[in-house]
Amino acid sequence: MMEFLAIVMVLAVFAALLIGYPVALTLAGVSLLFAGIGALLGVFDTSLLSALPNRLFGIISNPTLVAVPLFILMGVLLERAKVADDLLENMTSLFGRRPGGLGISVMLVGAILAASTGIVGATVVTLGLIALPVMLRRGYDPRLACGTVCASGTLGQIIPPSIILVLLGDQLSSAYSQAQLAQGIFAPDTVSVGDLFMGALIPGLLLVGLYLVYLLFTAWRSPERVPGLSEVELSERPDAIKIAGSLLPPLALIVAVLGSIMGGIATPTEAAGVGAIGAALIAAVKGKLNLRVLMDAGKTTVRMTSMVFLIFIGASIFSLIFRGFGGDEMVHNALSSLPGGTMTAIFIVMLVMFLLGFILDFIEITFVVVPIVAPVLLMMGVDPIWLGIMIAINLQTSFLTPPFGFTLFYLRGVTPDTVATSELYRGVMPYIGIQLLVLALIAYFPALATWLPGVLYG
Amino acid sequence: MKQIIVIINGINEWIGRFVGILTLILAVVMLAIVVLRYGFSMSSVWLSESVMYLHGMIFMLGAAYTLKHNGHVRVDIFQRRYTQRQRAWVEIGGTVLLLWPVALFILVMSQPYVESAWRIMEGSREPGGIPFLYLLKTLLIIMPILLIIQGLAEVLRAIQVLQSPTPAVPDPNGEDSRHREDGF
Repeated sequence: MMEFLAIVMVLAVFAALLIGYPVALTLAGVSLLFAGIGALLGVFDTSLLSALPNRLFGIISNPTLVAVPLFILMGVLLERAKVADDLLENMTSLFGRRPGGLGISVMLVGAILAASTGIVGATVVTLGLIALPVMLRRGYDPRLACGTVCASGTLGQIIPPSIILVLLGDQLSSAYSQAQLAQGIFAPDTVSVGDLFMGALIPGLLLVGLYLVYLLFTAWRSPERVPGLSEVELSERPDAIKIAGSLLPPLALIVAVLGSIMGGIATPTEAAGVGAIGAALIAAVKGKLNLRVLMDAGKTTVRMTSMVFLIFIGASIFSLIFRGFGGDEMVHNALSSLPGGTMTAIFIVMLVMFLLGFILDFIEITFVVVPIVAPVLLMMGVDPIWLGIMIAINLQTSFLTPPFGFTLFYLRGVTPDTVATSELYRGVMPYIGIQLLVLALIAYFPALATWLPGVLYG
Repeated sequence: MKQIIVIINGINEWIGRFVGILTLILAVVMLAIVVLRYGFSMSSVWLSESVMYLHGMIFMLGAAYTLKHNGHVRVDIFQRRYTQRQRAWVEIGGTVLLLWPVALFILVMSQPYVESAWRIMEGSREPGGIPFLYLLKTLLIIMPILLIIQGLAEVLRAIQVLQSPTPAVPDPNGEDSRHREDGF
C-alpha cells in the first residue's frame, strides 16, 4: 500500500506540474495531499514531518549555498555591464575574416560567458539577440547558426563556476556522506563543490574543443555555410587596444575566481563574493554602473535566488514525504537488484534524468532526483565527482534535445520568424552528437573527470 | 478589493527592494571577510555569521516578492497556450490548493520550533557570535505569512481578470510576461 501510494504520488506530481503552477509549490502541495491521504489510511507516520523546520533552517545555515546568490549577482552585473556585447563585437573582428571565424567567435564568447555567469537562459538569449542576427546577415546557414548559439549557451552548466555545479556539489556531498554512513564508514571521505568544479573543467574544455572542431570541419568542407566577413566589414575593425580592453577584464575575473578556488586559496563562496565585486568594478569601468543598475541587479538576484531556494524547500517537503512512504527504499531495491549491476543502474538513472530534463530543469532535478538516486549509486562504489559530471553533461544534452529541450524554447523566443523551428532542431543535432560522444568518453575514461581534482586536492 | 491588492503588492515590493540591497551588502561582506583573512589574517565570527543572516533573509523574505513578479519556475509546455482566463483559473486553483496549504503547513510545523528558540533567546553557539539566532529562525514563520498574503493578491488579481469583459482570446503578450525571466 505504501509503495503503491509512493508511485501514485510521483505520477500525480508530474500530472500536476504540467498544469503550470510554480514547480516548487506543486511539488510540495501535491505530496502534502498524499501525506494527508496516507495518514488517514494509517500508512503514513506524520511524526516524520516534524523534521521539516530543522531541514529548512539547514538550507538557511548552509555556508556552501551562499555561493548561489553571489554567483547570480556576479552574472547579473556582468550582463548589465554588456560584457557579452563587447566581447562578441571584438571577437568577431578578431576571427571574422576566415570562413567559420564568426561561428568560432560566438562559440568562444559563449564559453567565456559560461565561465563567468553560468546562467544558461541568459546566455542563450544574449547570444541569440546579438550573435544570431550577425551570423544570419553574414549568410551563415541558419541551421548551423542556431545550433551554435544553443550549444554554446548551454556550456554555462558545465563550465565552472556554474551555479548548477554548486547545487549539485552540495547535494552530492550529503548523498556521499549518507552512503558511507550506511556502509558503516564513520570517518567518511568528502566531496566538495570545489572538487566538482575541478572535475568539470576538462570535460567542459573537451566539449568546447569538439564544438570548435566541428565548426572548423564545416568551414573546411562547406565554406559556403559559414562565410567570412567582407573587406568593408573588416575595415571597421577596432584596434588592438580596444579588443584587449574588452577581452581582458572578464578573462581576468574568470582567472581570479577559478584560480583562487583551484589553488585552494578561497572557498567557492568566497570566490563568488570577490567575483561579484569584480563584476561591479568591470561595470563601473565601462561606465555602466549607477545606483539604479545596482538596485536593479540586487532585485533580479533576489528573484533568481528565491526561485532556486523555494524549489529547494518544495523538494525537501517532497522528499521527506516520499521517504515516509518508503519510496527511497523502493528506488534503492529496484536499482540494486538490476541485472548488469552498477552499469545498468547508472544507465537507467541517466536515461530517466534525460527524460525528466524535458519538463524539469537542472535545479529541480538536482533537488528532487539526486537525493533519491545518488546515495544508492554511491553505495555501489560509483565515484561522486564522476557521477556529478555525468549528470551535468547528460542534462545539458537533454536541454538541447528537440522538441522539449528548454534551450530551444529560449532561442525560439528571440529568433526571427524567418528561421523555421525545424531548422533550429536540425541545427542542434551535430552538437547533440558531440555531447553524446563526450558522455561516452567520460563513461569509458572516468579519469577525464576525476584526474584533476585528484591531483589538485590529493 | 483593489485596495487589498495595492497594499499587499506594496508590502512585498518594498521587501523586494530591501533584500535587493542585502544581496549587494552580502557581496561586500564576503569581500571584507576575504580581505581580512588573506590580507590581515584576521577573522570575525560576527562577520562570517552575518553572511548566514543576509543569505537567509534574501530568499526567505524574497520568496513572496518573487511570486509577485512571477519569478518561480513553471512547467510551461501547456501554459504557453492558455488564454488569460485559463491562466487566471490556474492561479486561483494553484493558490488555494497548493500555495496556501503548503505555506500553512510550513507555518504550523515551524511554530513550535521558532517558539522554543524564542524561549531561550537562542544565540550563536560560537563565542562572540551574533546573539540573534531566534530572530533568524523566525524567518520560517515570516516566509509563509508573506507567501499567503501575496497569494491572496494573486487570487484577487485573477478574479479581476475573470470579471473583466474581455473575450477569451490568447493574450498576445502572455508568453513573455508569464514566462520565467531567467534560467540556468
